[in-house]
Order: sequence, then structure tokens, then C-alpha cells
Amino acid sequence: MGAAGATRAESESEVGKVEMKPPITEAQAAPGVTPVATDRPAKTLDAKEVNLFYGDFQAVENVTMTVEPNKVTALIGSSGCGKTTFLRSLNRMHELNAGARVEGSIQLDGQDIYGPRVDPVQVRRLIGMVFQQPNPFPTMSVYDNVAAGLNLNGGRVKKSEKDEVVERSLRGAHLWNEVKDRLDKPGSGLSGGQQQRLCIARAIAVEPEVLLMDEPCSALDPVATLAIEDLIGELKSKYTIAIVTHNMQQASRASDITAFFNLEETGKPGRLIEIGATEKIFTSPAQQATEDYVSGRFG
Amino acid sequence: MPGTARVEYQEELDRLEASALGGLDLVSASLSRTLEAVEHQDVELAQIVVADDDRIDGRYLEVHQALITLLATQSPVATDLRLISALLHVLKNIERMGDQCVNVCKLIPLTGNEPPSDQEMVKLILTMGAQTKTLISQAKRSFEGRDVELARDLVRQDDAVDNLNRECFRLALEIGDDADRREWAMTMLLGARAIERIGDNAVDIGEQVAFVVTGLFREFEDASHPMG
Repeated sequence: MGAAGATRAESESEVGKVEMKPPITEAQAAPGVTPVATDRPAKTLDAKEVNLFYGDFQAVENVTMTVEPNKVTALIGSSGCGKTTFLRSLNRMHELNAGARVEGSIQLDGQDIYGPRVDPVQVRRLIGMVFQQPNPFPTMSVYDNVAAGLNLNGGRVKKSEKDEVVERSLRGAHLWNEVKDRLDKPGSGLSGGQQQRLCIARAIAVEPEVLLMDEPCSALDPVATLAIEDLIGELKSKYTIAIVTHNMQQASRASDITAFFNLEETGKPGRLIEIGATEKIFTSPAQQATEDYVSGRFG
Repeated sequence: MPGTARVEYQEELDRLEASALGGLDLVSASLSRTLEAVEHQDVELAQIVVADDDRIDGRYLEVHQALITLLATQSPVATDLRLISALLHVLKNIERMGDQCVNVCKLIPLTGNEPPSDQEMVKLILTMGAQTKTLISQAKRSFEGRDVELARDLVRQDDAVDNLNRECFRLALEIGDDADRREWAMTMLLGARAIERIGDNAVDIGEQVAFVVTGLFREFEDASHPMG
């Protein structure tokens, strides 16, 4: 396996504090992708020769790819191809599984997120995750759901400051107008689409650098899905976004860059087959396997 | 396994491609009759060609609608998307080729029932027509076989048609002072021009073959970039 020798133990580096280097901008843009107007230059996630394991089972083999700043990168591929596992390695959630192991390197603007002195909780604050099923804290109010991350991030936050963050985050998630009169009601009382936007508000309340989304619309109806896709399109002006989706139309509508994962057969590890501008992947992909998958020719 | 899914969709796409390219056979038949009508000053046959153009137009409308339905219901991407886009172009080309045959046939009654004024010019037009029929069948074969080389060769074949058209022009200039003969020559020149345009449409179809295969659309040749 091409682990490139860079196991976690060897990746000792200078870090200890999560302090980031200056942002990288459109100089890195993938060919064919138009840079978006950015409200805030976001950060780059670089994966190099990443191998992921569950115990003895290798789920992902030798993935090298860049999640570019202020763009939406879609990860597509059939079930079991490792795309969700890979996504979860990007904010150190993979290691929460018993026996899970990560080889290779993942850097946020050049800083190793698996560095020995890096706090995984801090990594997850900088690289937020939105899940398939909307998962607001059921007993908490809408307000407390959004503010939850602020409380967790240590130190007391003034009420007025908290009010401001909650409003800004709910506005950022296109939810403010729908919930501003019921901020004290339970988050679980919202519709599925609203709950998912609440989770996005909760994720952006702590001002992350990157947003990872694991099939964020698969539990939603088409109208709520399009609302989330519109939101994703806006969020990329501030954040770096990676999204796992089974919905190929969603990948083609909502992403700038598409990465196709595949596995040779069941039981073999998933690999990155092709990554490129979404337009290219959906009009003239370079690999036959990509063509077969996006055309729906895998039975 | 590739090829095991979306069988009906694939069959429908194959059927529509065959139906669209079958339009080239209709055009070829229409052009044969057109040339016969020119050769024999056959006004009735010319009228049949004009009436029969509805079949070509009907093919265009039917396949066009079915392709739009596939776009709406099947979300084709990659090669399928390029193929459907190309077929929409090709249908338009076929419809235009049919119209050019009609244009020639509408000229025939204008030349009257007198024998042709200049046999050499008629012969040239018939040669152009035969050459253009070759272009039509070659365009079809190149599309069916996704053969970019054969498609590119259409440019060379079309140059021969263009040369014959220029030759017609020269003959018309030299036809003399008789007013009737000059009018006849001018009318036939319009016919030659229409046939020459059919050749251009065949080259356009070749460009679509290259697009389906490579994903890049480029004109093989245009006025500003000869032999690009």
C-alpha cells in the first residue's frame, strides 16, 4: 500500500497551536473553474497519499487531492467507495471509530491537522461537519442549538455577543426570518429542511474555515434540497466546502469541482479515480469508469 | 458492470440516433430526384421533391421532440449529453439540406420547358450533385462509426464541390450576350449554389462527429481560419 511512509508517528511538526498561515487564493484554482467572488478568503485542505483503515480492513487507498478554498468540491461514487470515510478523515472524525487508522498527510493551509500536538476538538471547530440526518439537540431551543458551539469553545460569552452570533448564523443559513419569533422553541419542532439549516447555522456559528457535508440533503424533500443547495452556493464565498452526495444532479448543480471515488470490487479499498472541474466531469470525463458512473451505467 | 443499467434509455438513444441519421438517407434520395429533375427539366418531379420535403421536416420535428424528452427525463451526461447535443445540430443540418433540394427544384419551372441552354453547365451541376451525395453518405458513415478521420476528410471532398461551383460561375460569365441564355445561366447558378451549401452542411455534421468523440467543438475550416 502506498502509505508514502508518512504515518502519524512520523509527522511530527512545529504545530501545537492552531494558528493558520495566510490564506491561499485563486492561484490554486483548478483549470476550467471560474473563481468566485469571495467575502473572505478561505483555507485549503490538502490530502496527500491518504490511506484509511478500520482495523485490518483498508477502506481508502492512496488518495491525494486538494479541497480548494471558496469552492464546493463534491465527492461522488457508489456505496462503499470510501468517500464518506475520506470526508470524515478531513476533520479527524474517522479516528473516533474503534480501530480506525489514518496514514498519509492532511494539511489545512499547510498545517498538519494530525500533528501530535494538535487538539482534534480544535480541528473539528475549524473544519465543521453537517450530517445526513439533521441532528439538532432535541431538547435545546433554536437559540441554544446555534449557541451550543460557542459555549463548548470555552470561556464565557456575553449575552449580547451571543445574540449577535446567533442572528448572524441563522441569517447566514437562510433561517432567520422563519425562526426569529420562536428562538426559544425546541429545534426539533422545525421541519426537516429547517432543521438541516439549523445544523448549518450551528456549524457556522463557530466560524469554521471548512464545512464538510455528508449527504446533507438525502433526508429532505426537493424544495428543501434546492434551498440547501442555494445556501451552499452562498456559503462558498466564505468557506471551503466539501460535500458527499449520492445525487449526481446535486453534484452537477451545486459543486465547482467533482471527485469520483470507486472501488475495484467489494472488499477492496476505495480510490480516487478522477478529480476535475464539475463541468468537465459531467460533459467529457477522462476516465471510462467516471463516464460509466455519471451516466448511470453501473447496474 | 457497465452496460447493465438503463437499458431502455440506451435503446431509445440508439433508436433516435439511427432515426436522425436516417434523415440523411432521405436527403440523399431527395437530392437524386432533384438532379434528375435538373437533367430532364422535369417540373413534375421537381414538385414531388418539394412536397416530399415534409417527410424530412417531419423526421426533424419527431426526433427533436424525442431528444428533448430524453434531456428532460433522463438527465444525460458525458458522452450521452454530447451525442444528444450533436444530434440536435445534425437534425438542423439535415432539415437545411432538404430545404436546399427544394430551393433547386423551385428553380426548375423558372427555366421554362425549353431544353437546357448549356449542356456543359448542366453536366457540371450533375457532377456537383453526385459528389455531394458522396459527402452525405460519408458524413453518415463517419457519425455512425465515430470516425473523426473520415469526418475530417469531408473538408477535402467539399473543396472539390466548391471548385465545381466556381467552374459553374465561370461558365455563366462566358455564356454570351443572349438575354434568355443569361437568365437561364443565372438561375442554374442559384441551383449550383444550393447544392454547394448541402456539401457545407455535410462538413458541419463531420464537426459534430469530432465533438462527440473528443468533447471539443471546433470548426474544421472557416473563412478566417482556412484548414483550421
